[in-house]
Amino acid sequence: MYNSQKTKEQNTYDAIVIGSGISGGWAAMELCKKGFKTLLLERGRDVKHIADYPTANLNPWDFKYGLNNTLKDQEMDPVQSNSYNPGTKHFYVSDAEHPYIQDQPFHWLRGYQVGGRSLVWGRQCYRMSDLDFEANIKDGIAVDWPIRYKDLAPWYSHVESFIGVSGQKENLPHLPDGEFLPAMELNYIEKHLADSLKKNEENRLLTIARVANLTRGWDHRGPCQNRNLCDRGCPFGGYFSSNSSTIPAAMATGNLTLRPFSIVTEVLYEEQSHRAKGVRIIDALSNEVYEFYSKILFINASTIATAGLLLNSVSSRFPNGFGNDSEQIGHNLMDHHSSAGAYGLHDQFKDYYYKGRRPCGFLIPRFRNLKENEGLNFKRGYNIQGHGERQEWTDLSHNLNGFGKDFKKQLTSPGDWTIWMAGWGECLPYFENQITLDNTQKDKWGQPLIKIDFSFKDNENKMMQDIQKTSAEMLEHAGFKGVEVFNYKKAGGSTVHEMGTARMGHDEKTSVLNKFNQMHNAKNVFITDGSAMTSSSCQNPSLTYMALTARACEFAYQQLKKGDL
Amino acid sequence: MNRRSYLKRIVVFGAVGVSSFSIFKWTELTRKVDPATLWSKKDMIAELAEIIIPETETPGAKSANVADYIVKVLLNCMDIKKQNKFCAGLDRVESYALDNYGKPFMNCTANEKQAVFEYIASHSGFSYRILNRINKKIFGESFYLTLRDLTIEGYCMSKPGATQGLAYDYIPGNFEACTILKPNQKSWATK
Repeated sequence: MYNSQKTKEQNTYDAIVIGSGISGGWAAMELCKKGFKTLLLERGRDVKHIADYPTANLNPWDFKYGLNNTLKDQEMDPVQSNSYNPGTKHFYVSDAEHPYIQDQPFHWLRGYQVGGRSLVWGRQCYRMSDLDFEANIKDGIAVDWPIRYKDLAPWYSHVESFIGVSGQKENLPHLPDGEFLPAMELNYIEKHLADSLKKNEENRLLTIARVANLTRGWDHRGPCQNRNLCDRGCPFGGYFSSNSSTIPAAMATGNLTLRPFSIVTEVLYEEQSHRAKGVRIIDALSNEVYEFYSKILFINASTIATAGLLLNSVSSRFPNGFGNDSEQIGHNLMDHHSSAGAYGLHDQFKDYYYKGRRPCGFLIPRFRNLKENEGLNFKRGYNIQGHGERQEWTDLSHNLNGFGKDFKKQLTSPGDWTIWMAGWGECLPYFENQITLDNTQKDKWGQPLIKIDFSFKDNENKMMQDIQKTSAEMLEHAGFKGVEVFNYKKAGGSTVHEMGTARMGHDEKTSVLNKFNQMHNAKNVFITDGSAMTSSSCQNPSLTYMALTARACEFAYQQLKKGDL
Repeated sequence: MNRRSYLKRIVVFGAVGVSSFSIFKWTELTRKVDPATLWSKKDMIAELAEIIIPETETPGAKSANVADYIVKVLLNCMDIKKQNKFCAGLDRVESYALDNYGKPFMNCTANEKQAVFEYIASHSGFSYRILNRINKKIFGESFYLTLRDLTIEGYCMSKPGATQGLAYDYIPGNFEACTILKPNQKSWATK
């Protein structure tokens, strides 16, 4: 394509951010607040806070087929339809329109729209600790994290104070406390289990989930109305998303240009400066190709797409993909497993109930391998997430026999108390768990399809067995009856915590990014989505992505000010 | 008999069952269901649903228009095998009524309808859970269970069902973690 000098100037910004999800929204906001003219590129459509949440206020009976997906949905979206329902479908891509290749079953759940998956995220916010940052070096696995907790702690605070996180301080070194709004409350059965843990289990405690749901008004949003319909988008702004928070804040500076329908196909390399000069995009609607230029570039396209973009950006300098001297890009793909756990019923406490639909459950922080040599047959650990409730019609419909008057009475009355809980477990970084590009198969914009080859391995499988064992024993000790363990054996990707395809590290020979998420091979490129993760820990990762992003933005700003960038 | 050999026997038994199953019946299970046929049986479905969830001091399945929901969901969301089994189940209801009472189901008295339904309910599966599972996997969910599940779902998600049969709290506002259950308190309609 030919660009005149004039278009070139029009298409030049101080900063470009690729992707408007949870980390891209943060990058855009931080850069705009620092005075950079910023272009935010999003491959999907725009989604305006509140105005574009069409199902947010619907009642169950407003849906034609209840919350069942149609046969056509199941056929067209074999992966996404596992995750969406008619209330949330519009925040997921169509698999038919956006195909990818699974060498082994892998659920790549995606939301191509402004706000990305921040609209439908689980909102859990847990800090990582030095137990996590030191794990690789101690175990001799992969490479060492180039940062420690003290590097990130102030940035965790920075992010929490902005997004609003409710939670309870517990003073655990391996799960550091944060800046919390008042905690949500445990219900009767959850308190009962918490008490039992205190009494019966050494080293374990149960606390309310730490979530980006507002227990009081915050930053002109909220509070949370306890509807538990977050993933339809919240008309009260009761939870944090790019759409409700960072993007409006970036817009308010006057420095943001948001360009939806912009599929970034290549990062452009400039020989003389050894930097990225900008990006090439395809307009998803018109199919026209454009180039945009900037001093710095933040890539926040999400773990798998970011790696795909880099691998697709080849030049004589980078024949194997942009910034890929280490040949690590696309490798070390991780996702938490969350398949194993236990379920039990409790036949007491029938006088108690609850009112409202609290949008979160409880957390039993990691208690395995906190010390060395615990004698377990797996490395690292897991936290347990779960919730307690009384059986209602959705549970009773499968467990009650009969029909008629008495049946109806039972079906519509609160049943036994139950607890469901499962382990969210760390996944080790394996070089062979990877994404590559298949140049023989293209999408409708002529871009190569991404191929994903991922499996959980021995360490994860052994950990799942331990999760079943510990979950069941905690329930049994608390007097639960009919305790059943389960392992759903969900495909990789199902926890939607993909990480690791462009990892941070000290050494440019073995890692892609340095300790400020800056590319070793191209100093004006920063990657602060999940691909930067050197190990996965067992904490839900979004809070860490946001903290890394804010920290990298400050670093880029200081470098530019000094003239080093 | 240890568990393993027990399971083996079940699997062999299941396999024999499959091989004796005629190709003819298989095609019957996988052919397309004519929506008009199913819609024409809406009144009968409504009658059956009302037996599961009758009108009491709160609305029943009929007032909640559950039959409409069942047919819509079956035709648009459930796989073909389930649809066919459902149609076959309705035929079975009809022929049982004809054989035993000499009249179509819809013309039966309330007591007769109840008896037909009880027969269908008690002949809906094997007494071993694992056989039901194998059966379900190969031939689809039984008519009775599909009818029951969709009736419950259709009722509890309908406006009369959710707001009168159950307790519907559209915008709770606050969360009360521990309340004292009142006598006859209904359970919440949504989670």
